[in-house]
Amino acid sequence: MSFSLSEVLTLVLPALAVVLVVTMLVYLGSSRRGKRYRPGRPFEFTPVWFLSAPEQLAGDGGPVAALPQGPRRAELASAEGPVLAQPESIQQTGGASDRW
Amino acid sequence: MTAGEVTGARRPEVLDGPFNTRQLLRLDEALRTADSSTGLTFSVYVGELDEPVRGHAEKLHGQLFDPARSVLIAVSPNQRMLEIVTGAEARKRLPDRDCKLAALSMAAAFGVGDLAGGVVSGLAQLADHAGKR
Repeated sequence: MSFSLSEVLTLVLPALAVVLVVTMLVYLGSSRRGKRYRPGRPFEFTPVWFLSAPEQLAGDGGPVAALPQGPRRAELASAEGPVLAQPESIQQTGGASDRW
Repeated sequence: MTAGEVTGARRPEVLDGPFNTRQLLRLDEALRTADSSTGLTFSVYVGELDEPVRGHAEKLHGQLFDPARSVLIAVSPNQRMLEIVTGAEARKRLPDRDCKLAALSMAAAFGVGDLAGGVVSGLAQLADHAGKR
């Protein structure tokens, strides 16, 4: 039983083409997915701060990326006195904390 | 600019953050829904928090336009810490106990690596507890 060269090419080339296409799709899919957070492993990213509207951030109202040292409200900036001088909103904050 | 908006040809900084485009859109939708249904202002910070963590989260909360009516969810993936800060008015509708329940749920999602899912479900829970405006 023998195969001619054209028969071999007819069988092998489509198979190779399929393998190549699948490999490319897998590679593209994984590279597009990007980094993923895994607890306990270092996770490098730019800090972000999300609001449904930018004007809700006091100051210039622009940044989406978080600015931990960003503009403060006037009463915070001028609060140089004792703790009692803090604005009411700071004193009465509530909420919760957790860790994982 | 909201989380889902992209302006100009320059790559937005937010895409260097911890979320991909699809997750950003989900987050944007969750924030809008929470804000519009409750009348409170919800915001989400994801990044490092300086020690003391609670103090830093409260400082960020104080930078919002109307802190008394605002709720901040601060998540630090590398420190594996989560803070929910409610202002004086928001706290009346979102007692600390309800915040703790949402925090537990969020921490469970974060523990399996689902940052976006945890934040979105946390926002939904908090908005649900706060009720309609």
